[in-house]
Amino acid sequence: MAVLNSAHIIELIRKEFRLEFRQKTALAGILLYVLSIVFIGFLSFRGGIRPDVWNALFWIVVFFAAINAASKSFFAETRHKSIYNYTLYSADDFVISKIIYNILLVWVVSGCAVLCFGWMINFPVQDFSLFVLILLLGGAALAGSLTLMSCIASKTGSSYSVMSLLSMPVCIPVLLIVLRLTRNAIDGLDMSVSYSYLGGLLIIDVIILSLSFFLFRYLWKE
Amino acid sequence: MKKLFSLLLLMFTPYAFFAQEQPQMADAMRQDGKIYVVVTVLTIVFVCLATYLVIIDRKLKKLEDKK
Amino acid sequence: MSSWWWKIAGILLVVYSIVMGFLGEVPRLDILNETIRNLYFHVPLWFAMLVQMGISWIFGLMYLTKYNPKYDIVSSRAAYVGGMFALPGIITGSVWATYTWGKPWVAEDPKLQGVMASMIVYCVYYLLRALIPDAQKKARISAVYNIFAFVMTFVFIMIYPRLAPNSLHPGNGGNPAFGKYDMDNNMRLVFYPACLGWIVMSCWLLNVMSRIKKLEYKKEFHEEII
Repeated sequence: MAVLNSAHIIELIRKEFRLEFRQKTALAGILLYVLSIVFIGFLSFRGGIRPDVWNALFWIVVFFAAINAASKSFFAETRHKSIYNYTLYSADDFVISKIIYNILLVWVVSGCAVLCFGWMINFPVQDFSLFVLILLLGGAALAGSLTLMSCIASKTGSSYSVMSLLSMPVCIPVLLIVLRLTRNAIDGLDMSVSYSYLGGLLIIDVIILSLSFFLFRYLWKE
Repeated sequence: MKKLFSLLLLMFTPYAFFAQEQPQMADAMRQDGKIYVVVTVLTIVFVCLATYLVIIDRKLKKLEDKK
Repeated sequence: MSSWWWKIAGILLVVYSIVMGFLGEVPRLDILNETIRNLYFHVPLWFAMLVQMGISWIFGLMYLTKYNPKYDIVSSRAAYVGGMFALPGIITGSVWATYTWGKPWVAEDPKLQGVMASMIVYCVYYLLRALIPDAQKKARISAVYNIFAFVMTFVFIMIYPRLAPNSLHPGNGGNPAFGKYDMDNNMRLVFYPACLGWIVMSCWLLNVMSRIKKLEYKKEFHEEII
């Protein structure tokens, strides 16, 4: 197994960020998507929204925004660019940089979703620290699996819809646990109720991230 | 032998004596032996399908051996 | 014929489970009544499906280490056979649930959610295989997806029911062991052979399916698979 090259990883992440800021349309598109969905939600839930509906709506928005964000990471890459990357970096460095970048991206997107929800609809969460913990862990799990899925989807050479189709079943376990936990956070239940779920989420995080890391090298080269 | 027979007899004795306080089961079907009809039919259906699978398997074997 | 004995054994085991499944003694329970005998026919389907899923997973891993097409053939066929067992498993479970739990689909039951997730994974796996035209690329990418997705569903089936204590299935809520089934020793004597028999039958189907696929492969690429 090749040793990880941290200089390469940092370099790749910085490159991703620079690309992101150069073509602001991509990130702005995702944020606009979140904003418009929340606005639609605001229009349809004028009379106040039940907490469980809020919960479902919030995670649907975050999930699809995350798919949008992660799908760019491989679809944007042209053939020449990927060949160039093959020659410079190893698969492990590459996938780690992609995963870290996607995790940061999903965290940013879900933070924006929280802001939009709080601004336009409402924010029923009572246990805020638990909620943040859920966002961090759940976001990492989503980003880890979506990175691999977007790579697979880009290899099929077909459209973006395949990406959401592929990632749906893979993300169901994460989403179910996260929904349950968010329910606890909304109700402001005692932390001890959530421990087992948090443990399950943590295990799933570890499994997803390590699987994405180990499986990527088999997708890497044509 | 006698012991075994009485055990068998006990097994097929209808539960009519104490059926009142126990959940309903299809005791009548067992009593008049119609259950054997069901078992026979199901066994025949399954054995037929399995035989068909055997035939497919043997045909496949012939195809594999043919060069 | 050295390879025949296990196939015959499979048939005999299933026949035994059919005969004894109807004639054997079962505990008298409320609500379940005679339908407890479904245990001999519904549950083994799931065991067969899980075994096929495991075979598919292991051969997917082996394909990624060796890149030999025969592993891909077995892996993909196992996924198909597993799906073939999952479908009647869902339908029979639904029928059984209608008459015992009162409705065909109890959405809150974590087992059912897990089953649904694995069905979706199977469907997406087939779709993915259909989408990629090139044989080698198809094998490699679907193996990666297979490994990832089936680990996720397995985790889901194993972890999630333990977290959610409100399953209607027996033996959940912290302890997915068999001891909690409403089974006495009489039933075990039928239930375990039934599971074994159906697992053997599913492996036989897998054997036949992958041999057919191998012949097709030979015809298409004019080369033997070793």
